[in-house]
Amino acid sequence: MHLPPWFWFAAIVLISWGIVGLLQKLSTNYISAESSLIWLVVGFLLLQPFLYPGPAVFNYPARSLTWALLSGVLNALGAWALFAAMKSGGKASIVAPFTALYPLVVVLVAPVILHESISLLQGLGVLCALMAVFLLST
Amino acid sequence: MSTPATLKAKWFWYSILCVLSWGGWALLSKLGSKEIPADTMQFLFTFGALPVALVLLAARRFRLEKSPKGIGFAVLNGVLSGIGGLAFFAAFRSGGNTSVITAATSLYPMITVVLAVTILRERLTWVQVTGLGFAAAAFIIFSF
Repeated sequence: MHLPPWFWFAAIVLISWGIVGLLQKLSTNYISAESSLIWLVVGFLLLQPFLYPGPAVFNYPARSLTWALLSGVLNALGAWALFAAMKSGGKASIVAPFTALYPLVVVLVAPVILHESISLLQGLGVLCALMAVFLLST
Repeated sequence: MSTPATLKAKWFWYSILCVLSWGGWALLSKLGSKEIPADTMQFLFTFGALPVALVLLAARRFRLEKSPKGIGFAVLNGVLSGIGGLAFFAAFRSGGNTSVITAATSLYPMITVVLAVTILRERLTWVQVTGLGFAAAAFIIFSF
């Protein structure tokens, strides 16, 4: 069976972020959600020396650099909103599966912004994935 | 909770903000990865996340708990999140479909659930078992 390259990268994402899910639970057993997010960013910063692209970074188009920076802002904003939702009375059993539905935004918006279409089979896979994430986060 | 009450609840709107933010994050990750390699994307991404952490730090009046275990787990969390982020950007850069990659990578709670059962000795509910079934189905479909 020939698997596309993205599948292997996705497998690395699943394993590392799957362990992250466990570490999130372990860290919030000892410190607050906000502190966890702050120390998480410290963890990001530890990787920076290995990722430093040098002056070459300024050779990329300003538009792409903006997307990259904004992706970080939106990711952290989403994490903060999740913590805020739980802190303002939202039950974890409702908030977690609800917020896990973010791929739905991509499925709805990607065809318009990125002009991408998915096959019927891929659509079925996306549907199964959304159901899985919703149920697993409950 | 009835629907009108839910719509008035703060947590509901925070959750909506989270869904929209993470949806936007995934889309921008794809847009940025078209021209920028994965390691540089992760490098820039961190500078985007930094201001949010600083705002939270200021909101806590620069006082953080001093639990070495909690801090250790959270920092390790960041390192692994970063490694996962690298692979996330690399997946987009490899040219796959954005909707499919976002849906496939969002299946990570499957690994968390399996680890929670094996390491933390947590028990699975029948709802989670059903979720694992859907995750397996999604994987088989994506592998075609």
